[in-house]
Amino acid sequence: MMILSMTLPPKDAFFETIIYLINTYASFFIRGIYITLLLSVVGTLGGFILSLFLTILRTSEIDQRRDQGWVRVLKHTGRIFSHVYITVFRGTPMIVQAMIFYYGISPLRLSWWTPLIAGLTVVTLNTTAYIAEVLRSGINGIDKGQMEAARSLGFSRSEAMFLIILPQAIKNSLPAIGNEFIVNLKDTAVLSVIGVFDLFRATQSSTSSNFRIVEGFFIAALIYLFLTFITGKLVNGLEKMSSKEKVNQHV
Amino acid sequence: MSKHILEIRNVHKHFGSQLVLNGVDLDVSEKEVVTIIGSSGSGKTTLLRCINLLNEPDDGHIYFMGSDLMDPKTDLEKLRMHIGMVFQSFNLFNNKTALQNCILGPMKLLKQSKEEATENAMRYLTKVGMQNFAHQQVTRLSGGQKQRVAIARALAMNPTIMLFDEPTSALDPEMVGEVLSVMKDLAKEGMTMVIVTHEMGFAEEVSDRIVFMDQGVIAEMGTPQEILKNPKEERTKAFLKRYRSNTLI
Repeated sequence: MMILSMTLPPKDAFFETIIYLINTYASFFIRGIYITLLLSVVGTLGGFILSLFLTILRTSEIDQRRDQGWVRVLKHTGRIFSHVYITVFRGTPMIVQAMIFYYGISPLRLSWWTPLIAGLTVVTLNTTAYIAEVLRSGINGIDKGQMEAARSLGFSRSEAMFLIILPQAIKNSLPAIGNEFIVNLKDTAVLSVIGVFDLFRATQSSTSSNFRIVEGFFIAALIYLFLTFITGKLVNGLEKMSSKEKVNQHV
Repeated sequence: MSKHILEIRNVHKHFGSQLVLNGVDLDVSEKEVVTIIGSSGSGKTTLLRCINLLNEPDDGHIYFMGSDLMDPKTDLEKLRMHIGMVFQSFNLFNNKTALQNCILGPMKLLKQSKEEATENAMRYLTKVGMQNFAHQQVTRLSGGQKQRVAIARALAMNPTIMLFDEPTSALDPEMVGEVLSVMKDLAKEGMTMVIVTHEMGFAEEVSDRIVFMDQGVIAEMGTPQEILKNPKEERTKAFLKRYRSNTLI
């Protein structure tokens, strides 16, 4: 097989070209898949963790009677920060964020500030904003009696949040967070603009010398489709699991 | 005279433009069972929720074991640990088992070891007849079972006083009895209790004192005999008449 496809097939031989590209540039595609998965996994997990902090900031409530002046200022600042953060990151394209971050920090000449690190940073910060929105609606879906019961036992607001509310909200939000992962699989393609060697960039590299662009990106499309299809199945499984439990709650 | 655990002084509360509590004073002594009755909208639930500041009064004072809960310097969380509360809609922690519901507070707040908290919790679950359901997810329990677990959860904090907010109102009729009987046992053992309820028979049986509320104030207060059999106030009479005509049908 390897030997058969060593020379570039003629232009109208679509499938032969595909086999040729796969054989010749297998290492590129594998590297591209690895980087795309890395961006999506790190972006979704990192975004999830950071979104927890953002959620704590934006769900804090100022206690008019008990909070000292500086606590109020801190809580107020936190709320404004989270609001601005979410508005900015959801309101601008990730490709624009990538350009600003990568070329904004590059002049500092930090040896570790590579396109990949910049890409991981941008996808994480971007996903944080989206998952924070998911978590907010998850928290809104939790009956307020849960918070009241926790407060009546003597838990503070933040203890109740961490011990009672968030675990339930996260569980209910898992399918939506899984969807963010699927979105990341596809949308991290834009990070190739700053030179991240993801699946998109790998495909570009594979076709840059032979100009078989359609065939190359046909392969990329199949790979993207495979990845999103598999994760989609997993997310559906999660959804079924959680809806099954909800049915049980009403029996 | 026995010691007052709770002293409510001149409490006012608005919701928006609506005045819900218009100057309420009430004392509760140790081991006393006080029942608050009144039609819906009279402010009885709001008053109960003001006792542990789930609703924060606009004005007035709540003295609990000598400390004013309304004082910003008071450690509210610490005092709430001594005030057990049982809700109309149970509010059990949905992601946990019955036992986990009962040990969370004691472990995290009272710093009990898991073994100690479990042993205590099992004792209280046994007391409410729920020991066999300790490891069940609470979402799978019936209403009456949930409410009994909720009582055990509150008791596990070893409270000085227990507040009950219409504990049987969300229950199917056949489950009311099991919850009321647990509460009767508590009353017999000398637990200090403040109960908002519509169950007049129960109120008559367990109460040392019945408080009748109307339009945000305490209209009349006295022994069950005085309030239910010989009410002095016209609005108390009207309320009881309405209540009886509704329940005897």
